[in-house]
Amino acid sequence: MKFIDTPRDRWHTINGEDGPMVTLTPAPYSLLTLSQWHGVRSQWPADMPVGVLLANDVDIEELADDLPRLAVVALQFPKWIDGRAYSQAHLLRSRYRFAGQVRATGEVLVDMLPLLKRTGFDAVVLRADQSIDAAERALRFFPGHYQGDVHDGRPLFARPPGEVNTSAEEFVNAGASI
Amino acid sequence: MYAYTEFDRHFVHQRAAQYRDQLQRNLAGQLNDDDFRPLRLQNGWYIQRHAPMLRIAVPYGELNSTQMRALARIARDFDRGYGHFTTRQNLQFNWIPLVQSADVMEALADVNMHGIQTSGNCIRNITSDCFAGVAADEIVDPRPYCEILRQWSTLHPEFAFLPRKFKIAVSGAREDRAAIHWHDIGLQLLKNDAGEVGMKVLVGGGMGRTPIIGTVAHDFLPWQQMLVFIEAVVRVYNRYGRRDNLYKARIKILVKAEGQKFIDDVNEEFKNILERDLDGSAHIITQAELDRVSAHFKLPKGVLPQASRTPSLQAPRDATPAFKRWLERNVHAHQLAGYRAVTLSLKRAGQAPGDATDVQMNLAADLADRYSAGELRVSHDQNLVLPWVRESDLPALYEAARAASFATPNIGFLTDMIACPGGDFCGLANARSIPIAAAINERFDDLDELYDIGDIDLHISGCINSCGHHHSGHIGILGVDKDGSEWYQVTLGGSDGSALSETAVPGKVIGPSFAADEVPDVIEAVIDTYRDRRAANEKFIDTVKRVGLDPFKTAANAQRRSTAHAA
Repeated sequence: MKFIDTPRDRWHTINGEDGPMVTLTPAPYSLLTLSQWHGVRSQWPADMPVGVLLANDVDIEELADDLPRLAVVALQFPKWIDGRAYSQAHLLRSRYRFAGQVRATGEVLVDMLPLLKRTGFDAVVLRADQSIDAAERALRFFPGHYQGDVHDGRPLFARPPGEVNTSAEEFVNAGASI
Repeated sequence: MYAYTEFDRHFVHQRAAQYRDQLQRNLAGQLNDDDFRPLRLQNGWYIQRHAPMLRIAVPYGELNSTQMRALARIARDFDRGYGHFTTRQNLQFNWIPLVQSADVMEALADVNMHGIQTSGNCIRNITSDCFAGVAADEIVDPRPYCEILRQWSTLHPEFAFLPRKFKIAVSGAREDRAAIHWHDIGLQLLKNDAGEVGMKVLVGGGMGRTPIIGTVAHDFLPWQQMLVFIEAVVRVYNRYGRRDNLYKARIKILVKAEGQKFIDDVNEEFKNILERDLDGSAHIITQAELDRVSAHFKLPKGVLPQASRTPSLQAPRDATPAFKRWLERNVHAHQLAGYRAVTLSLKRAGQAPGDATDVQMNLAADLADRYSAGELRVSHDQNLVLPWVRESDLPALYEAARAASFATPNIGFLTDMIACPGGDFCGLANARSIPIAAAINERFDDLDELYDIGDIDLHISGCINSCGHHHSGHIGILGVDKDGSEWYQVTLGGSDGSALSETAVPGKVIGPSFAADEVPDVIEAVIDTYRDRRAANEKFIDTVKRVGLDPFKTAANAQRRSTAHAA
């Protein structure tokens, strides 16, 4: 999981927010809203890195054709308990095989990390008050799960017995505090 | 019953460790109360009127005696010596200080228990028929399917923050004893003509402000596809369920608003998962997995079917009338020859419906060990059930149950009422439930009278959240708040979908709310009207259906004193 340090991040949004921006000039590492992207995609240079910041009520299907051109899809948590972006991330990875970065933005808390990771996010912009240490710890509690996820689509029952760590020692080694 | 694997055991311990980490950050000021709230909720911790409330998951209502003793210990060591069994087959404690909550989670994990997803906007604990695996009218034992669902839904990463809570109930019998029409998803296990197992899938049932009966989303879903189909339902709900209004956020509102489009969306999503997703068919349940899980639900050790079946249970000629009544009301048919299921009534004078003290929990555990292969069930009607009782043990069990105050022969009667904890405990409640339950209990304390009234479902909720299922009661009582005081709305004719009242339907309101002190009189007037009007051998609900609400309304409204001006 990559923790984005915003001041040092090369990706930047284009202010002016919504509405087709006729004046928007393609620049590398632009993170565009969907309507900004729609306004410029026909003239966007093929080799210029671009990402889209997607609202959580947009169907991923709408972005499907553009995905090969995108390096980043940034999904949003307007409130951290609004879980729509988990489904969007899951679909990006497992249905549309998106291989670029899936970034969590908005109200991102450390305790969301296990869910974010398992649904396909690989980068997060933590809320300013959150601690990276706590986020990393949050990722280590469960070395295994019952249901499949984007990293391994197989549920526990579909995996060979030897493949899953079940001993207490493994859990401790994984960093958990029993 | 299901026995935890090493994986399961470590998983619940790790959940307890994760919760302790969260609690410590909260106590240290690193995790603010607002952000901690959804995390503790998903472990069963509410902040209530007096202290936090802990809701402990009892997956599909199955408990062993060791677990029951651990619950008794927690009641004694951390609470004030009692707990409350709920309509969702869970157990709630009301007095545990939050600082001790992580210790309690660890104590629970030691006996393979937890509070995972007993609250919060996620897939909640799976509920089922309390007679699952023993019911005489069973088509398919629902427990393996419940367990597979429990595992799949546990810490599902995509569905932990849905628009609202999401409840799944599973029934495998001819009679629906799990109120499946009233759930976000209700599954009715069936066999087709070829003997293959599948399920009818109902979606979008629910109580609350807008009572709605589930819509059929699939007539016969092959069992192998259960998880994939539910994934499709929940994903469509996560995407389109309303998040702008708490009261319109349940899936029932989406299903109602979208109608066929919702079903079409689910079917398309289902197809997409299987045809387009990476590993999309990985959650198709294999025969090996069903066999593995089903093996946990074979007959418990020591349970041996008898050679011949006793067609109907005859009490010995010298049996007391009380024992005969107990046989009639608290003892149920069983699928094994020579066995019966027995209800331990948690409905008795002096205790709130569904409540049990630590001493009673220990006694129930003892009875389970002695008479029921160490196994217990929690029923949707807030009683305990011993599922594996030999017929020959019934007289001894009766005496022991009586000594432990579990033998009130009132199962299915007026005093076997469902009631939520209400305003005495619950932070959400508008009015108290327990004093109303107690007053009705006191009014109808004569067993002969209860026998004469016969089978009837009385359900009491302290607020519109409907934890006491008032919508599905033949008589429903709903606590409402008007200008800061407690009032009670009475409904008639509701049904949970069980054989007694057939099609699940919400009851109808019989008039403006009544004052608390009028309620027992209203119930008595309603009952008297039934007794006046009933045909021979006619049950209460059938009389209500036949004669309509008017005579009941008239009788009920005649009881108004303080609310006379409003009538």
